[in-house]
Amino acid sequence: MSETICAIATPPGRGGIGIVRISGPACRNVAQTLLGNVPPPRSATHSDFCTTEGEILDSGIALYFPSPASYTGEDVLELQGHGSPVALDRIVGYLLEQDVRLANPGEFTERAFRNDKLDLAQAEAVADLIASGSAEAARAATRSLSGEFSRRVRELDQGVLMLRIFIESAIDFAEEEIDFLGDQEQQKQLAEMQALVESLIERSSAGLTMQLGLDVAIAGDPNVGKSSLLNQLLGEDRAIVTATAGTTRDTLHGELSIDGLPVRLTDTAGLRESDDPIEVMGMERAEAALEQADCVLWVVDDEDVNAAVPEAYQTKALTVSNKCDLTGREPGAVNDKVFRTCALTGAGLDELREGLKGVAGFRSGIDAFAGRPRHIASLKRTHNALVTAANELSALQGELVAENLRVAHECLGEIVGVTTSDDLLGEIFATFCIGK
Amino acid sequence: MKYPTAFDVIVIGGGHAGVEAALASARVGASTLLLTQAIETIGQMSCNPAIGGIGKSHLVREIDALGGTMAIAADQAGIHFRTLNNSKGPAVRATRAQADRVLYRNAIRQVVERQPNLTIYQDMMVDLTLKSDRIVSVSTRLGMEIEGGAVVLTTGTFLGGRIFVGSEQHTGGRAGDPASLELSEKLRTLPLAAGRLKTGTPPRIDGSSVDFTKLEEQPGDEPRPVMSFLSSSDVHPRQISCHITHTNPQTHEVIRRGLDRSPMFSGDIEGVGPRYCPSIEDKIVRFAERDQHQIFVEPEGLQTTELYPNGISTSLSFDIQYEAVRTIRGFENAHITRPGYAIEYDFFDPRGLMPSLETKSIENLFFAGQINGTTGYEEAAAQGLVAGLNAARKVAGQTAWVPQRHEAYIGVLIDDLTTMGANEPYRMFTSRAEYRLRLRQDNADLRLTPVGRELGLVTEDRFKTFVARRDRLDKCNSVLAGTTVYLNSDLANKLSKETGEAISRDVSLLDFAKRPGVRAEHLTASGVFTDKDEAYLVQALIDVKYQGYLRRQDQAIERSKEQMGIKLPIDMEFEGIDGLSNELREKLEKVRPSTLGKAASIPGMTPAALSLLSVHAKRHSGLRKTA
Repeated sequence: MSETICAIATPPGRGGIGIVRISGPACRNVAQTLLGNVPPPRSATHSDFCTTEGEILDSGIALYFPSPASYTGEDVLELQGHGSPVALDRIVGYLLEQDVRLANPGEFTERAFRNDKLDLAQAEAVADLIASGSAEAARAATRSLSGEFSRRVRELDQGVLMLRIFIESAIDFAEEEIDFLGDQEQQKQLAEMQALVESLIERSSAGLTMQLGLDVAIAGDPNVGKSSLLNQLLGEDRAIVTATAGTTRDTLHGELSIDGLPVRLTDTAGLRESDDPIEVMGMERAEAALEQADCVLWVVDDEDVNAAVPEAYQTKALTVSNKCDLTGREPGAVNDKVFRTCALTGAGLDELREGLKGVAGFRSGIDAFAGRPRHIASLKRTHNALVTAANELSALQGELVAENLRVAHECLGEIVGVTTSDDLLGEIFATFCIGK
Repeated sequence: MKYPTAFDVIVIGGGHAGVEAALASARVGASTLLLTQAIETIGQMSCNPAIGGIGKSHLVREIDALGGTMAIAADQAGIHFRTLNNSKGPAVRATRAQADRVLYRNAIRQVVERQPNLTIYQDMMVDLTLKSDRIVSVSTRLGMEIEGGAVVLTTGTFLGGRIFVGSEQHTGGRAGDPASLELSEKLRTLPLAAGRLKTGTPPRIDGSSVDFTKLEEQPGDEPRPVMSFLSSSDVHPRQISCHITHTNPQTHEVIRRGLDRSPMFSGDIEGVGPRYCPSIEDKIVRFAERDQHQIFVEPEGLQTTELYPNGISTSLSFDIQYEAVRTIRGFENAHITRPGYAIEYDFFDPRGLMPSLETKSIENLFFAGQINGTTGYEEAAAQGLVAGLNAARKVAGQTAWVPQRHEAYIGVLIDDLTTMGANEPYRMFTSRAEYRLRLRQDNADLRLTPVGRELGLVTEDRFKTFVARRDRLDKCNSVLAGTTVYLNSDLANKLSKETGEAISRDVSLLDFAKRPGVRAEHLTASGVFTDKDEAYLVQALIDVKYQGYLRRQDQAIERSKEQMGIKLPIDMEFEGIDGLSNELREKLEKVRPSTLGKAASIPGMTPAALSLLSVHAKRHSGLRKTA
């Protein structure tokens, strides 16, 4: 790997900080010219970033990671400057004159791969880290990147392997003098593994929601305060609010972040009988938005005692009982699906935000992983197989316990790589004295 | 000197692979020559006198379903039969027969001698002639050149065979028989990847010097199972018992003293032995914490007192063998009739074979049995059948036939060998078969006899017997599917009483039969079936109980077929694929899978890596088209 590559490592656009990452053998030379010296390894050094002509391109923190203890396994230099796109471009432009070329998409990861720095699950987490739109998701991605997700799944994979060693030997080496596991011990191990998968699924799902965010639609009868709610949640006057029913003709969008959880809000036209063709179109769009939403905030008038969420949205709706200033009732969470608010003053909205976090599986105390939908699907099938294995064990169907564990192992293999029957047999021969 | 006639197919070797190869080739109509060093040893069991066992009897039943001869011979020679895993599910149930060596050999020889299209000739092959990478003839030690369209090599342990007892060693193919040395040298000049493997046998013991009162007796099972779909237990000869004894700390002490002269530990043996069939010295070293090891004492036959103490195969010096044997309970005064020995022999990396078992580098040359890195009579016979069949088909200009992994253990065996190769002698286990629930002893004929008939392997008689059996099964299945158990009907009451299962609404008999507590005898007792149906009903119920699992496997089979359909270019560059780990990349470089399906079976493979491969395969083929 003789070429040295560089890339802007922060997302495009103006940010508080802009990072240029350089990897390859030319890092030391680049440091010498740009910083005037090679900074001590792995410690933050403040420096001007200067051309040989003495022009200051930017100033900031330089970090130097000598090979092999770096992200890519090569020499890596990181320049953390001010986030201005112009400054970043000037740094990169200068680097390109110094025997450094622009990295291809994913090339840092590829080099990390080649130098055995990452496994597949970790590499996928890197992709998530780059794509993740929120700080929470980035934290989850970091946890997975450090190998925790991989480690947990591997642990589980190992657990299934150990149990299979016993169960498969009991079938293939029935006549050997082996101390096979009793059914009770097998049940115990199956239950432990089930619990482990459940917690992995929960943590991965939470990570997934954090990356993808939540699509939330605001809906309800006309003139219950939907647009006021949107404006209050967004903290800006996005929607025109009047006392006239039917003011909102089209769907309105806005994005906000609740403690790092990306939420895309859609305000919909109030649903009512109307002859106005524009309003009818708006209501059609509203219905489509409700279909697609992960969560519906169904807004009702706190005075309206007959208000109810339509059947179709009940499972994914939170009821927002608005205008509680008029009834004089206390704003806040009535239960985890019903909230009383005053959209004009913002009363009760903190509780509603917490409610939305709850919908996202954003419960406190969960350390989320950067879950990928594919991983979660594999884990769910693992879980099913383990549950069925336990049932077959109760029915004394040894070969079906074995079949379900094989399937569970296969599903985990989709994440950490397959264990072949030959690997399994190898473990059996290493564990037991087999053979007459 | 030219041999007066030329043959379509020449099979070298008269062991279990050679016999099935020669028979299959002759059955499908090819003029076939069976060339063997010694006609007397056709069908010889060189190792322990038993056929079958878990995973292995599955192979035997499949060979039988395809018209092979191993199962019938085992029934005619079997002096002790057992059903293994009887307490476990039907998919993993297996049959083992202890065979009288002489009866077995005789049974095989009779079939071979009576087979039309098959000629037997005694001589040793020493050379072969190629014409532009195609084999055209073999030459013998007596200077005979025999022309053949195709050649099937089944050399067993004879190719470059070397026998070890302690620090003594000599060339040999089996105790008392010479090795094939010239042929070994000749084959090593060909573009085939040669290696060495090792196996061993225990010392044989004179039964008249053994105190059987000190051994645990193990009688055979009654009712006696049979191996062949065509047999009944009426053909079995007189039945006798096996016995069990154990080694003890004293035995282990003696063996440890002899380790310094063991060729296993001195480095004299370079070949790799099987981990599942270790020598007793290996067991004692690797599992030092065990203070005893089981010995299964197998009778060699009805007319001999010789015994085969299975579990103490060894290549230790004779003095150590002698002393160690006499520490064993019941063997205190045992006389060793033949010392145990290790044998090392040539094999060729089976990844050099096509699934038809034809070598990739030399056209019309087929390999079967231990030459491909396998061990076991059953594994050898299964390959022999496939190689013999495909050799004949090749000569006749027909495409090869090989069963798939979901169709037969034979398919698993061949796919494993040609994809993964053999790091140690390969033996079949049920855990190797991912479709284990459908690859059962009971349905081997349903899976394979129809195709065997089409291929010409199955005689009309066998097929008639099969069709009659299949019809009875079909009848059971249609009664199960077509009968409704009405709530509170007589039938419902009888079934509830028999099974203890409550019937709370109308239910089809098929759905009722899925309940775990329902067994065949319940259905006959309630009058839906007659006693004559019971054997068939038992089998029908297996599929009923496994139905959910079998359906799910159907999906997996479809997926695997799709993956098998995606070809990976032979010159694919794994180096350039971003996202593959180094480890996987190295494995791919080594295996060079021909299809995505083969790549899927590489250890450590993930779906993500597979999708990368399929994308790159597509890109690769696109690039080549435009280039």
